[in-house]
Amino acid sequence: MRKLLLALTLLMPPAALAVAPGALAPDVKAPQLRQPGQVLALKSLRGNVVYVDFWASWCVPCRLSMPTLDTLYRKYGERGFRVVGVNKDVAGDDIDRFLNRVNVTFILLADKDDAIAKAFDVQAMPSGYLVDRKGIVRFVHHGFTELTARDLAKEIEGLLKDPA
Amino acid sequence: MKRAAALALLAALSACTTVAPYQRGYLARPDMALGADPGTTRALDKTFDAKEAARGGASVGGGGCGCN
Repeated sequence: MRKLLLALTLLMPPAALAVAPGALAPDVKAPQLRQPGQVLALKSLRGNVVYVDFWASWCVPCRLSMPTLDTLYRKYGERGFRVVGVNKDVAGDDIDRFLNRVNVTFILLADKDDAIAKAFDVQAMPSGYLVDRKGIVRFVHHGFTELTARDLAKEIEGLLKDPA
Repeated sequence: MKRAAALALLAALSACTTVAPYQRGYLARPDMALGADPGTTRALDKTFDAKEAARGGASVGGGGCGCN
């Protein structure tokens, strides 16, 4: 009986650990959406303040978050702020349709095998992880509203003041 | 005891699984709605949200974004 219960317990899927503030950002790499053949490693952006955003065309709040993040990127980019948008669509046509309406200038990554989403253990769409210059996740945002945008601007400004 | 173990085993063999928030692209499609008429269902949901000042409890909230 005990052996059976142990076997059942082992059959249960392991609980992933969500990336929380204070944790080191997962060292992930993925192909870029707009530069076919080019792979970006998150670690290569070390020294910048990076916002890793999980988005999809079917995610309603992403219609607000994507242009807002682009505005923040244009505003703080010169001071070392980068945005990495990790796409979670299942069809390429949906991505193109969305980007035709909401054009963004920051880096976009594909995540077809869910490797990045699993590494961060994404709990909601959209989810954003603000990483400091040393690669430590400092703030996590689930969902996106105008309040998130306001908080994010303050957080970015604070982190940009920290030296690399 | 054996019966309980058999039930536990059956439950473990269930085909049900949790869909991660980032994997809900297909579920967010209008034709994946539980109602027979997605347009009417959406209109009724919107009316309900407005009248009750509350939302949630639908099959996939907020267009499938999993954020509500």
